[in-house]
Amino acid sequence: MSDAFESGDRIEVQWKGTKFSGMFISRDEKVTVIKLQNGYNLSLENSSIKGIELVSKFIPKPALTGSQRGNGKRVFLLGTGGTIASYVDYETGAVKPARTVQEMLYAQPDLSKIATIDAEIILNILSEDMRKIDWINIAKKVYEKIERGEGVVVTHGTDVLSFSSSALSFLIENPKAPIVFTASQRSPDRPSSDAFFNLSGAVKVAQSDAGLVCVVMHSSTSDNTLDIHSGVRLRKMHSSRRDAFKSINSEPIGQIDDSLQIHWKRYEKVNSKPMKLYDKISEKVGLLYFYPGLSEELFNKFAEVNDGLIVAGTGLGHITNRFVSQIRDYTSQGKIIGITTQCLYGSVDLDVYTTGRNLLGAGVIPLQDMLPEVAYTKLSFLLGNFDTDTAKRLIGMNLRGEISDRRTE
Amino acid sequence: MRSLTEEPNDVKIGLEIHFQVRGRKLFCECEGEEDTKELGTFSRKLTVVSGEKSEKDAAALQESMKGKLFEYVRTENSCLVEMDEEPPHLPGRETLDTAIIVSLILGCRIVDNVHFMRKIVIDGSNTSGFQRTGIVGLRGVFKSDSKSIGITSVTLEEEACKKIREDERKIVYSLDRLGIPLIEISTDPDIRSPKEAREVAQSIGLAVKQSGMIRREASSIRQDLNVSIRGGNRVEIKGVQSLSQIERVLANEIERQESLVEIAKILKGRPVSTDLALEDLTGSSLFSASELFAKGVKSGKRIYGFSLPGLSGVLNKDKFRLGREIAGRLKAVGIGGFIHSDELPNYGIGESEKSEISERLRTKDDDAFGLVILEPTKIEMCIEIIQGRVREAMIGVPAETRGAMENGTRFLRPLPGSSRMYPETDIPLIPLDSSYVREVEKRVPPTVEKRVDYLESLGIPRQEAFNSLWKEYDDVLESFVKEYGNPKICAKFLSVVYSTDSPDVNEARNLMARYARGNIPSESLESLYLEGEFKLSEKRKIVLVRKGSVRSSLGIEDEEGIREIGLDFRIKNESNQELIKIVESVVGDNEELIREKGEASFKLLMGLVMKQARGQFEGKEISELLTQKIKQVLARQ
Repeated sequence: MSDAFESGDRIEVQWKGTKFSGMFISRDEKVTVIKLQNGYNLSLENSSIKGIELVSKFIPKPALTGSQRGNGKRVFLLGTGGTIASYVDYETGAVKPARTVQEMLYAQPDLSKIATIDAEIILNILSEDMRKIDWINIAKKVYEKIERGEGVVVTHGTDVLSFSSSALSFLIENPKAPIVFTASQRSPDRPSSDAFFNLSGAVKVAQSDAGLVCVVMHSSTSDNTLDIHSGVRLRKMHSSRRDAFKSINSEPIGQIDDSLQIHWKRYEKVNSKPMKLYDKISEKVGLLYFYPGLSEELFNKFAEVNDGLIVAGTGLGHITNRFVSQIRDYTSQGKIIGITTQCLYGSVDLDVYTTGRNLLGAGVIPLQDMLPEVAYTKLSFLLGNFDTDTAKRLIGMNLRGEISDRRTE
Repeated sequence: MRSLTEEPNDVKIGLEIHFQVRGRKLFCECEGEEDTKELGTFSRKLTVVSGEKSEKDAAALQESMKGKLFEYVRTENSCLVEMDEEPPHLPGRETLDTAIIVSLILGCRIVDNVHFMRKIVIDGSNTSGFQRTGIVGLRGVFKSDSKSIGITSVTLEEEACKKIREDERKIVYSLDRLGIPLIEISTDPDIRSPKEAREVAQSIGLAVKQSGMIRREASSIRQDLNVSIRGGNRVEIKGVQSLSQIERVLANEIERQESLVEIAKILKGRPVSTDLALEDLTGSSLFSASELFAKGVKSGKRIYGFSLPGLSGVLNKDKFRLGREIAGRLKAVGIGGFIHSDELPNYGIGESEKSEISERLRTKDDDAFGLVILEPTKIEMCIEIIQGRVREAMIGVPAETRGAMENGTRFLRPLPGSSRMYPETDIPLIPLDSSYVREVEKRVPPTVEKRVDYLESLGIPRQEAFNSLWKEYDDVLESFVKEYGNPKICAKFLSVVYSTDSPDVNEARNLMARYARGNIPSESLESLYLEGEFKLSEKRKIVLVRKGSVRSSLGIEDEEGIREIGLDFRIKNESNQELIKIVESVVGDNEELIREKGEASFKLLMGLVMKQARGQFEGKEISELLTQKIKQVLARQ
């Protein structure tokens, strides 16, 4: 009987000797969900329902239309997934993702006051489903927009956000306009969502004269300050808090206050150097987290299927001595093995202990204070666009601010 | 005022009764306590996407909240969940069981699955911007005295933050209360009078308390009231704290609604219009004598006057108070100082100024006028709100949410529709299958009636039995009676003990044990418990001797000081010589009586002995000695 109803239909249900009228929401093999007139949903076991009758069919509301795109400097919004632009249809209680500019502005009413918005949803995937090819597609779209000097805001899920911001940092050289990633830890159907402030801040940065890839997110649990992180310097450090993103081994490059004023600490302005898009990426680069008990078999598999391997080693950047001989074999075959630290904070240093010196002797490349994910996207970018020797030369060199010689914390 | 016992016709009242549940919070493992240590603050803003034209009222409210900052004080009993920084955890089993038990007490059907919803709340009292709530039971029938009251639903929801303070820019809340489980019981609008509302609330309260899981704190029970009269709309009254307040608030609210219906009738015959002739009167000399207006103008505000066509005499005259209604609406969006012609002359505006203002605003016979002192940017919103309220006045009673005050109500916001609710996706459906419910059902307590009948069968007076249930010491009372007998004295004594702020059951038990062994008179229980002493005569009293802070023993205090009464119920280090002396002297004085009445004289003589020996000696010892002495006298015959 479920086929007979659509979400939104008015129905009458008989259950446990009583009758309800309400709105049909959904039905699966176990339960039927109806929305009562007082707004509550009831999830009734199908087996306990004695009958459902249609009262009236649902009349859908007309789609949002109009040409209003807001006021202010143009910003292009690129949706790649996550729920930063979604809203509740209170009639049925469904949370709907915004799919058009009008829906985007409806879901994010503050934006139209600060910018003229254009928007496109090119991906609608969960953060963890992101693939390397998606980075190329995003980079192409972004490149197309910033060629016209228009700042771009990329909305993204939070889980692998730092991978994507890092990938874009390498794939687009000398951007002519800001490329700003943002996300939300609380979805925007909630009045308390961080999405509203994060997105407004990101749009402000996209309207600035910065020529870089950055990420705008909450700096604390309060809705009063946003951090602007370099796209190659941040990491998600908490599974659920608003201020999950932290710049590691460097300070945020700027902050935004609650009146949306930007306070830069240091940043790359748009310059006259030619912009370049690299549109390839190597699928044969892997990232391995070393741990006590990691089998030789698994390590070898990893090294064999990849041309490049980034290892997040222990402490100063160590892998067990037992792997030194095959590491030597792999590097002599031309494979690149880069070493980062799973401590995240601080730099690798392979000169301190014997193991480190042995690894160096076997041909690994120490990657200083570069974050493992950044090293991974960087090597994928290098092996996709350059020959092995060039990649080997560039992987340990600072290209986009991903490596620093000085650390104060 | 209407008599409280009179039943107005066509009044429909429904109750929403909230009980805080004991134990952990609903969606995290934090303790459900209040007033725990503060640990710093953070601040948030709330945004609601409304958009739809039909939600204009909600939008106006949102406008008033716009830019408001909410500051939250973290406490020792709050974690990332209350901070809206971590998804909610599953509700505790105990809490869920309690909600099911309460539903069953109220004769509800139990839902197949608890489906938690998010109910949008944008006053900042929930960090998330919504309250999580789910139906556990519904469609119940509760029998209250002779009447059956329909139970719409029993829901399990999270308690909101406690407001600490508020100013124009921000509201400060504490997280300690946020997340305490609340059971909300909604009745159908089956109640017909304020008195009945109070009775039903009390009966439901008593029934629900039988679960033994309701928090005892004074603030842990709150009522919301829904009330409408014929020709009006439903009005929701929030936050009634006590049973007696229910009756007062409802009586006044019904009166308010009746006067609004009458106003609507009056206005039907008048040329009422929302075309308000607005004029800026700032420069006028009419206000030179008014301190109120001068102060406003000084702070950069302007004085606006406008006609209120057709409203003369209904703004503030006899029982009519439409002026107060308008002022309430304006206040809700932060506009104060609405003054109208029905309350003039006043505020430094005389009769002549009043008629001059009327003239300037070209008012006619039935017209009134209004004055506001306001920032120019707000005048448009102000006029719009007044027009809206005048339009509603022509119809009758507007549907509103009002706040309970000591006696009446005040406007809070338009009544929200049911629409601003959507599913909580962070919590899966919680199945309540029938075997689980059957298990819980075994723990449903006996009905209040049955419990009272049982206590009465132990010899406890019925009213005292009810009282013990309401204050939740029926178990203590039962155990006292079983241990010490004397049901009436136990009941009376415990009602005194439980009328104090922190009843000390051990102390009460101690005293009751002494009484039961005849060591102290029943009249002394109350004053020993409350004041720590009981006067035996001018110079002698029984006193409570405190050892440290907890344990206490009894002593006799007289000219010689305090002598402790030992566990053998004798004054320590003292023989019973004194008692023998007392008994012998009483018996000696009454030998004739003994010979006349035989052993039946015991009762009378015991009384005489006790007058002197009470408190010092164990009753058993006294009676044995007296019996012995009486026998001796009779043997000599």
